[in-house]
Amino acid sequence: MFDTTGFWKDIFIFILVLVVVYILLKTFTLKYFKNKDRAKTIGLNIFLVLGILYLFYRIYRVIYDNFPDFATMFMMTNIVNQALQVSVLALATTGIVLIFKTSATTNFAQGMIATFGAFFSAKMIQYFALNYTDMTVTTMVFLAMIGGAITAFLFGVFVDAVIIRNSKDKSPIGKQMITMGLVLVLAGAMPLIFGKILLPIPKMSYEPNIAFKLFGIDLFITVHAYYALIITVVLLVILFSMLRFTKWGLGVRATASNELVAGMMGVNTKVITSMSWAIAGLLGAVAAVMLTPNATNVTVALMTPTQVNAFMAAILGSFSSFLGPLVATILIPVLTGLLSLIVPLWQNAVVYLIILAVVLVKPMGLFGKKIAKKV
Amino acid sequence: MMICRTEVCKDRKARFKQITNHPYFGFFIITFLMLIVQLLRVTGVPVSNTLIRAFGITMIYIIIALGFSILLGYAGLASLGTAGFVGIGTYILGYFTKNLEASIFIVILVSILGAIVIGLIVGFISLRIEGMYLAIITLGLSEILNEVFKNAVSITNGTNGLGLDSQLIIFKNLIFINHNTIFIFTAIIMFVMMILTLNLIKSPTGRALLAMRNSTSAAQAMGVSILKYRLMAFIVSTVYAMLGGVIYMSYISFSIPTTWSLAFSLNILAAVIVGGSQSIYGIVLGTFMIFGLNLGVFQQFDFFKENPAISVMFNGLLIILVIMFYPGGLIRLVTTTYYKLKNALAKLKMKWRNYRYGSDN
Repeated sequence: MFDTTGFWKDIFIFILVLVVVYILLKTFTLKYFKNKDRAKTIGLNIFLVLGILYLFYRIYRVIYDNFPDFATMFMMTNIVNQALQVSVLALATTGIVLIFKTSATTNFAQGMIATFGAFFSAKMIQYFALNYTDMTVTTMVFLAMIGGAITAFLFGVFVDAVIIRNSKDKSPIGKQMITMGLVLVLAGAMPLIFGKILLPIPKMSYEPNIAFKLFGIDLFITVHAYYALIITVVLLVILFSMLRFTKWGLGVRATASNELVAGMMGVNTKVITSMSWAIAGLLGAVAAVMLTPNATNVTVALMTPTQVNAFMAAILGSFSSFLGPLVATILIPVLTGLLSLIVPLWQNAVVYLIILAVVLVKPMGLFGKKIAKKV
Repeated sequence: MMICRTEVCKDRKARFKQITNHPYFGFFIITFLMLIVQLLRVTGVPVSNTLIRAFGITMIYIIIALGFSILLGYAGLASLGTAGFVGIGTYILGYFTKNLEASIFIVILVSILGAIVIGLIVGFISLRIEGMYLAIITLGLSEILNEVFKNAVSITNGTNGLGLDSQLIIFKNLIFINHNTIFIFTAIIMFVMMILTLNLIKSPTGRALLAMRNSTSAAQAMGVSILKYRLMAFIVSTVYAMLGGVIYMSYISFSIPTTWSLAFSLNILAAVIVGGSQSIYGIVLGTFMIFGLNLGVFQQFDFFKENPAISVMFNGLLIILVIMFYPGGLIRLVTTTYYKLKNALAKLKMKWRNYRYGSDN
């Protein structure tokens, strides 16, 4: 539908120019820097940011060429529309990163544990809708969300305390396999436990869209996405302040840097890891309940695309920081949404390719630091 | 039991032992057992279609799992891209026979060449990214491939799936469409693949891969080139996967993008982990536990047909239990029980002898 002539050619040329300029700068000016590694990483970051900005600019140009009168509004609307996706992805990614920090493994079952919570929420909503007909949608969904979150919280504790802790193979890859096995178990078990879900989880509110002005442009956001954004921000602020200011947060950071030494220094690493599995489950369940109205009904495969995207975001932003993945979680849905205008149907593949390219340039992610390993 | 006293008899026994101790003997037995189902049918015993199909699919999965085990068990590289690679294999066969009417040898040649190219790409990626990051990146690659399968409608027929209604051609006039022949063809390829894998594992290449798995730094210090062997591991694994895809397409004659999703990769991984990633017999056992049991046994009962979720759950439970209690895989359990039984039998024999003839002291 869009005229996209020259889009890929321009981007290709720009990337080529960036690479050539970077190599030239590296060969001729690196010797003037005191800290060469630091200069290299900062240079790379600047060039990557330049590349991403150029991509956005080129997308804007394409929209401008087609709709010169309201290109900015078109683009902004498209970005604002991704608010729900961003908040869901942010919660899922934070859960994965939290588990990676404390247990040194990538949790493939994150999405499934979240779906478990969402199934419970759907059951609760079914119960409420039948028995408390005078309840408003908002309270119903909130109560169900809390119920689902608690279920996923307990399930997270169960996974860590019963399965992971008692496993004979405690290597990161072994734990990863366990989570993959858990994916299969939950995928099989959930339809048996919960049976058929009759009612879909409704949106948090069906009130008319909220209008607001940003940079002088009129924009709309659905109330559901607005609530989702608020819940996400509140949860993440609570989590980050806990990580920063409480003893548990200190314990998480200590366990993340070295589990054995943290244990020796009196940190109860078992409680720390269980809690992070539990909190990851909670965040995932909240995300799943918020996502469900877009997918009409709770199914086993509800969180799979989000899960893949969350992994990508964690890789792109680096597993070693909390804020890096958050930037990536904003970047991925926004880019996907914008690219769907230019290369309809291929947007996911293109975004994954971009992430692959970035990770090849910076294996530790955009915000990652290289960790020196002892042999 | 007959006791050998004559020279001829002893010679015969030694020769028999030579055959049974041959490393390929086990593979031959496995292939023969697979073929028995087909042979029974030829002789007129009513064997259900689903059972034969289950054996056929299991053999294809064994080929794919063998390739994956080289990657996971020997090179220590966790990859989740298997589904995508197998998918490419199926679509290569589908496209080439449907649109270009190419012979199956050309298809196999093309798929091997494609596998080498893709293996090289993934191998180069694996040089930059290690460990669990690699699993996620290969998962991303697999997702990209899945998008391609869904959207490149002119080649893959999109989400409707690509059916193979035209006949497979070997040479210009020889036609090769019978399912029974493909079954035998698959069994032979599986046999050859097992021998190739064994030879690869026991060769200096396999030793280098093992060294790399245990410690890359130590392997490098001993002169093992990480670049060469990582690329090699990925290329070999991808070739196996693509070949598996080609055979899958020729056997099933249908390929749809939803098959080549994360679940397929996870199942192959499960087969390798459950059986034991460092043993060929382990992989056969694991593939049977994950795929064969479900397809061949469970699907015969109505209960499991109505609740396909249970077999999925069973697979997951198997993985978790095996990693929790037998990290070496089920084959280790089998071998340890075998030796324990052997020891117990020897002890019993000793006791009986002591009782019968009186003890030494």
